[in-house]
Amino acid sequence: MMWLLLGAHGLGIGLAAAAGGRSLRAGLAVAAIAPAATAGWAAAALLRDRPPEPTSLVWVDGLDLSIRFQADGLALLMTLLVSGIGALVFLYGTGYFNPGPGARFPASLLAFSASMLGLVWADSVWTLFIFWEFTSITSFLLVGHKHEDPTVRAAARRALMITGAGGLVLLAGLLVLTSEIGSSTLTDLAPVSGPTATLAAILILVGAATKSAQVPFHVWLPGAMAAPTPVSAYLHSATMVKAGVLLVAVAGPAFVDVAAWKVLGLSFGITSLLWGAIGALRHRDAKLVLAWGTVSQLGLMITLLALGEPKATFAGVSMLFAHALFKAALFLVVGEIDVRTGTRDIAALGGLSRTMPVAFGVAVAAGLSMAGAPPLLGFMTKEAAIEAALKLSGPDRAIALGAIIAGSVLTVAYTTRFLFGAFGRGPATAVAPRRLAMTVPAVILAGAGVLGFVAVATVNGIVGPAAAELDPEAGTFLLIQWPGLKTAFVISMAILASGAALGTALSRHDHPARPAPATLGADAVDRSIDGLLSISPRITALVQHGSLPVYLATLATAAVLAATPFATELTLDHLVWWDNPLQGGLALGIVVAAFAGAFVSSRLGAALTLGAVGLGVSGLFVVHGAPDLALTQLLVETVVVVGFVLGLGHLTRRFPPVNGTWRGVRIAVAGASGLGAMIALAAASAQPTGRAPLAELTSQSVEEGGGDNIVNVILTDMRALDTLGEVVVLATVAIGILSLARVRRQEAATRGPA
Amino acid sequence: MSVALLLTVGGLTATGMYLVTSRSLSRIILGFSLLGHAAVVALVTAGGPAGEAPIAGRDGALTNPVPQALALTAIVISFGLTLFLLALAGRQQQLSGDDLVEDDLEDQRIARVRPDDDPAEVET
Repeated sequence: MMWLLLGAHGLGIGLAAAAGGRSLRAGLAVAAIAPAATAGWAAAALLRDRPPEPTSLVWVDGLDLSIRFQADGLALLMTLLVSGIGALVFLYGTGYFNPGPGARFPASLLAFSASMLGLVWADSVWTLFIFWEFTSITSFLLVGHKHEDPTVRAAARRALMITGAGGLVLLAGLLVLTSEIGSSTLTDLAPVSGPTATLAAILILVGAATKSAQVPFHVWLPGAMAAPTPVSAYLHSATMVKAGVLLVAVAGPAFVDVAAWKVLGLSFGITSLLWGAIGALRHRDAKLVLAWGTVSQLGLMITLLALGEPKATFAGVSMLFAHALFKAALFLVVGEIDVRTGTRDIAALGGLSRTMPVAFGVAVAAGLSMAGAPPLLGFMTKEAAIEAALKLSGPDRAIALGAIIAGSVLTVAYTTRFLFGAFGRGPATAVAPRRLAMTVPAVILAGAGVLGFVAVATVNGIVGPAAAELDPEAGTFLLIQWPGLKTAFVISMAILASGAALGTALSRHDHPARPAPATLGADAVDRSIDGLLSISPRITALVQHGSLPVYLATLATAAVLAATPFATELTLDHLVWWDNPLQGGLALGIVVAAFAGAFVSSRLGAALTLGAVGLGVSGLFVVHGAPDLALTQLLVETVVVVGFVLGLGHLTRRFPPVNGTWRGVRIAVAGASGLGAMIALAAASAQPTGRAPLAELTSQSVEEGGGDNIVNVILTDMRALDTLGEVVVLATVAIGILSLARVRRQEAATRGPA
Repeated sequence: MSVALLLTVGGLTATGMYLVTSRSLSRIILGFSLLGHAAVVALVTAGGPAGEAPIAGRDGALTNPVPQALALTAIVISFGLTLFLLALAGRQQQLSGDDLVEDDLEDQRIARVRPDDDPAEVET
């Protein structure tokens, strides 16, 4: 079924592109079908409590190369978010975009949706990684939708570079982790410990932090707000940025014994929780307020998951669910405000509660859910988070509780400021007429937050199994509508009161004339990307310099370095000086002739030394007991020497002089190559793997091949096809030489007698 | 294993490698030939010690025929390649008057490309 759904997405991409060529809105409508069907499938699987069968597509058996999908509780929850919110966002897009053609956008958005499904269903780390990268690439296309604008291009590039670099770090981490565990299956992750596990933990966390926009890798997310709002609602609140959180959740059980996982996870999480919320308070662009708020909320989720306590894991998973609903709804409202008023500056906006009542209702419902006010889904998840922090012991308790309370106060403050700024006092901003396609999805998402509180049992039925997937004990907790007058509730109320006061106070200071703050670090990232772009051609110029001898010398050096490990296997006891004295004499002759050939300056002399070497090698074959080789070598050598003398007859008699320094390098490389060859050969024959099957070969060549000369029978019978290939090679060479010679003769003829 | 053969392989590899990294095409061909010899001798050496020719019915310890059959192919192929290189060198000599190997033009062009250039427009 999962393959079928992915196939439907693939088909949908084609259809959406075709329909989008005529009208972008129609393309989006067509694209909505596959996600809607997938969401329905996931909801049915969740409600019937029957997870689908895992499925896999094996590419190379035994090499662990396969695509494996498994939709367990957590994956189904994510599927519901990815496809459910996806379908709503497509619907919303039909109202958001003005009429006109546009094939690329619906197709890329659906391609992203499909990649995200692959990511959440992946059961093999490699499958996960491939789809992880797909989401980075499709996200780049979507952020860069308005590519005529250079700032948009810069933002898209920044997002791609940071998430792409994070992807590489993640790949390194996954390699370390799988080699440590010995399995690439995500559901088999066993706890690991030790220095390599620490390395894997750090690499994987950094990868996750880039994707989930954790400080200091968050700089791409505010820039990515250059994307059309449906993209922000979908990628940058509900789905892609959750991939990092999902990874932390899924990989967490493997790293329970690794201290670095918790420490680094908490540092990322808490820093982002606080710095993101402060960022949300600094900005006036409503979309940036939400984006920074996302950084903060993702930080909270990572904090909860990194704690590794059952209750905290449960709170993290329920937060994941609630956040997707309220944040997507808020983005959709901001998009509607943007389209209908032409601005997103909360200092310039005002009084929209009167002119945009439905949007106001949605914003209040979703905003209060974000702030954690009852009676909404966000309240129950915030309660769960505080409860989880209260249940901790030791320094964890103080750190987690302090961070959650501080972060929550700031969250309430920026929510209040956003609601007041856009909908509160002031003369009502002029608005364009309402577009139904934009209103309906926002109402559904915000309504889900209210409904989630009323029908808490259903939400528990979704979140519980997902949390149980990570930690069986985490599945035993429930979201509670009315906790009673307990500590957590009192803290909650205090947070709401102080946050609202802070938000109201800050809201008074908002003024349209104040310049918008820049994102710290974004410039530095852009500069380093530019630097990379100017350094890489220089590196290419250095490495790909064009000198063929240097390329060859580099290759030889690499080969020698590859041969050096053989030196450890070198033993000397199997060595004899020579098999017989004649062999020793011939070897000496060959080496002397070869050296003479290398350093002689006359061309004719060089050709003659080559002949001498060939003769010596023939002699070696005779002594070795290889008459066929000796005969062939003799014939070949004669022809080559003749060819040399004939072919190069027109050249100057002496070789041109050689550059001194380069000559030294060549001698060094050549010496090392010779040594490397000797070491490799000696080491290889120190450990013979078996004896030659002489008896079998003899009987086969006599009885089946009908010949006594075994070498001949091997060539003409056992390896007859190879020999045929050899003949073809020689024939090709002959044709080549002939045609080169003919060109020469024809040119001579056309030039005529000079 | 015979040290004499080992030294032959080492010497041929070293001189061959020295020659192929030269600028003169005829020296490169020479070096290539020497490397071919080195490979063939190495193949035969790796097959085992010297002995009687591997012909059925002979007495005494026969040498291993399998590497010999492989080496025979190697000799013939490197022969073909050497001759073809010689023909190419002859052609080059006819066109340019010498047999020197120049630096790769395409690589030099790539080395001059800067980020903002259109790669197709950089002159060689």
